[in-house]
Amino acid sequence: MERLIYFIRRALRNMRQCLFLCSVAIGTTAVALSIIAFFAIVVLNVQQITADWSRQVEIVAYLDRVPDAVTLQGLQSKLLALPEVEKIEYTTSDEAFSQFRKRLGNDADLLDGVDSDILPASFKIALKPPFRNQAGVDTVVARLQKDVGLDDVKFGREWLEKFESFVALLKLGGAVIGGFLLFAALFIVSNTIRLTQYARRDELEVMSLVGATSMFIKTPFLIEGAIQGALGGIAAIVCSFVLFRLFLYESLSALLLASGSGTIVFLPLSFQWMFLGAGVFLGFFGSLMSLRKLVRI
Amino acid sequence: MIQIYNVSKAYRRDASALSDLNLKIPKGDFVYITGPSGAGKSTLLKLLYAAEKPSRGQILINGQNVTRMSGRRIPELRRHMGIVFQDFKLLNSRTIFENVAFPLEVQGKKRFEVSKKVFQTLKLVGLEHKLQSLPLELSGGEQQRVAVARALVVDPLVLIADEPTGNLDPEVTLDIMGLFRGANARGSTVLLATHDREMIRQFPRRVITLENGRLADDRMP
Repeated sequence: MERLIYFIRRALRNMRQCLFLCSVAIGTTAVALSIIAFFAIVVLNVQQITADWSRQVEIVAYLDRVPDAVTLQGLQSKLLALPEVEKIEYTTSDEAFSQFRKRLGNDADLLDGVDSDILPASFKIALKPPFRNQAGVDTVVARLQKDVGLDDVKFGREWLEKFESFVALLKLGGAVIGGFLLFAALFIVSNTIRLTQYARRDELEVMSLVGATSMFIKTPFLIEGAIQGALGGIAAIVCSFVLFRLFLYESLSALLLASGSGTIVFLPLSFQWMFLGAGVFLGFFGSLMSLRKLVRI
Repeated sequence: MIQIYNVSKAYRRDASALSDLNLKIPKGDFVYITGPSGAGKSTLLKLLYAAEKPSRGQILINGQNVTRMSGRRIPELRRHMGIVFQDFKLLNSRTIFENVAFPLEVQGKKRFEVSKKVFQTLKLVGLEHKLQSLPLELSGGEQQRVAVARALVVDPLVLIADEPTGNLDPEVTLDIMGLFRGANARGSTVLLATHDREMIRQFPRRVITLENGRLADDRMP
């Protein structure tokens, strides 16, 4: 424990004595993580929009004839018993007719003289979130046709296909760009730390000449790397929050408003912890990688 | 006791820095290692503090075979050595106190022990009033005295100095030589690489002369 306190004290003293080099390492980590954080905010919000859009994935099953109360209750229980179904909404012929009339607006008089039971009764079936996709819809449609006996089923197949490919593209793009940014961050941070340590190679040499063990030499540098990484992570969160408020908030709000979805969000707390952890990871492993080359006893 | 048997060192295949060197240096001896530039003086010293491994031969220091020593045991060997360089190798961002305290911190000594010993050693080299100065605030001679203090603070069994007075004027050279002689009188074996003939004449001791990596001469005063 005493040794650990000594190492931490030395790491802090090193940082104080090499303030410029230390600031460079923290700054680089902060910039690299800010870019990733900024990207993560965009992806998170766009994902939120798509999640909102996915609520529109629903199935409408039309009934050939108006069922009696007992049959209707039976159908409703069968539908609700399906594991994929979140909720159902029954629309009678009359309700469908009046909704149609409302939708026609000024042209509603076209329906004058038409029987109100001309439109079929229907069930609007909303799916649980994991099943709001092509596969989920296909499964439910098959069950409706086979198990429930509802043959006349409609859903926006074309829209669903387009939506699915958009979400897939978004996920792939997010993963590729995110992965690339993370790799770039590791590369940039580890090289910056290597340069800062290279500038202090005399210190490493002197330590080794006065009989310091490899662990004694490396530990304060690793602690220093982790502290710098953590500070870089905090700076990245603060920096991305400022950028978010200044630039991203307006444009994302406009996008959300256009799509009619909810509010835009900054990185959730779990993500903020992740960024702090990523900073510590980058600093620690960046130091470890460069020390392996610089410290040779 | 330092024993060197058939030691050769080649950095490249065609150029030998040391060839088939045999030496015995008794404990408590004071030895000059001299010779022209490129004769192998620095290489010999590097082999002794295990910064390099010989291409061939064996080196024993107090019965320990340095050539077969694993990387993990080298720090322990160096803790009993003091090493002084021509360019001082001080940490310019650290105070004089911190520079001299460093070898003791490495050994895990308690803080009060470190403070006491550092103060004593700095007093020995006449720099106890410069504890909180930085190396670059000191003259060349003072910086070398700090480097010698850093080497002496561990009471080394072997004190190795590579051209320690190469950059210093004659008056300061006398001071530094006084410190080495003092250390030798307290029991340290001193190996001092130099090509300063005047210094050898002024303080005559055993002189080992190297030429082209070979032992050219080994004479007592």
